[in-house]
Amino acid sequence: MLFRRIYQFLLVYIITIVFLFMIKILLSLSDYVIPGVPLMIETTGQVFKEYFFDVMNTMSITILGQCLSIIMAFTVGIAGRKSSWIGSFIKVTAYNIQAYPIVALAPIIFILLGDGFIPRLLIASMICYFPLLLSVLGIMATPVKDIEHFYIVTGRMRWQLEVKIRAFENLSKLTTVISGSATLAMAGTIVGEFIAANAGIGYSIRIALYQSDLAKIIVALFMIGIIISIYQGILETMGEQIKTRWSISKKGEVL
Amino acid sequence: MRLECNNLNFTYPDSKVAVINNLSFLMEKPGFKALFGPSGAGKTSLAKMIANPGFRADGRIITENIDTILYSYNLERLPGWSSAGKHLNKVTSPEKQPLKERLIEIFELNDVLNSRYSQLSMGQQNRMNLIRYLLQDFNLLILDESLANVDEKLRETIILAIKELFSNKMFLYISHNLMEVSKFCSQILVFGKPSGNKGCFMTQGQDCKKGYDLDKEKLDITMLEIMNAF
Repeated sequence: MLFRRIYQFLLVYIITIVFLFMIKILLSLSDYVIPGVPLMIETTGQVFKEYFFDVMNTMSITILGQCLSIIMAFTVGIAGRKSSWIGSFIKVTAYNIQAYPIVALAPIIFILLGDGFIPRLLIASMICYFPLLLSVLGIMATPVKDIEHFYIVTGRMRWQLEVKIRAFENLSKLTTVISGSATLAMAGTIVGEFIAANAGIGYSIRIALYQSDLAKIIVALFMIGIIISIYQGILETMGEQIKTRWSISKKGEVL
Repeated sequence: MRLECNNLNFTYPDSKVAVINNLSFLMEKPGFKALFGPSGAGKTSLAKMIANPGFRADGRIITENIDTILYSYNLERLPGWSSAGKHLNKVTSPEKQPLKERLIEIFELNDVLNSRYSQLSMGQQNRMNLIRYLLQDFNLLILDESLANVDEKLRETIILAIKELFSNKMFLYISHNLMEVSKFCSQILVFGKPSGNKGCFMTQGQDCKKGYDLDKEKLDITMLEIMNAF
């Protein structure tokens, strides 16, 4: 799982670089527009270490933001699973808010809270929170009738059991959504850093952008891609392990 | 113990054809009663109406000495996070543990208690599901094809054991096995073909109990009477 993610990223990255070089050759563009291989290697040597720590900085915010949004999504999703008025209210509110591009609110957050850790964390978690919430709400609000029936008619149903049944039956969906939300959290953090942060890889890309240094941007993109691939691979592997431990394969031998 | 339905009518919201049309019947005394008829005749709808007071239908359902009605069906599943045996333990009160052991033995499920529900065959799944219902407090248990996919010999053993162990309870057995309902049920509510002339009617079954001596002639008459409804 982990290696497949890395291979996939490297394949896409190499294709993109080859495509850029083809454009450079076809249109006879200068190194200023699209850098050549020697300049790329030189830039990599210069900024690799710095960008690595920048990506790790961004990654730490991403992980924290994602954890925060997972906790919030599950809390609100569990509260909103009922068909009561509060459940309907939460669902309608979530559907309406998620339709708005949350990233557009980033400047307001930076104006109110300034640069630094909290605004970046807030933007990262807000961007991956709503897609997560909609998935969790959808899963938690859908009864698994064939399993729940017995517990309901015998008066044994508790909210914890209901959540457990629905989470278990949708484990694959949940792990996919959680690992997919890592990309959103990373995107949110980088966008936040583009706008007004004073640290992280987004901030470094912004500086490279002002310098019109495509070589630095390409190196930064490589670092972001490889780190997020590893992170997603780890999340997917963890999801697989949880599934294996909690349940056993349905392909198992029929007794 | 008495279950009486008067002038029941029910039509699904998205349908114009009534599933149950002016149905009245009376079932008395504990034991096995049956709902028999072709698919789509309204057996499950009636069962749900009886089990669920919130089910919106016209007419009246009167029960006497029936406080708890449970409805079980053959597509139910147990959660998959632990073994079927552990789930069974969780839903069994301490005083019913000996009964649980006995039922497991009769239902021939001893060897699969450590398996997850998804690993069991369909017959084993249905037997496991039925056991957990039998271990609850109830006066009337509706068995909607709850013994589907169980081989005939074991099904007979199970039905006879249930009749013996739960002699003071009423069971409403929904099955498509004509011989079985005719043999083991005391009252059979036959759902005729909706397009047919006969509609729904009640007939007497042979109500065979453990060590029974079957009167084949009477059984044939019962089966013929039911068959004539279609």
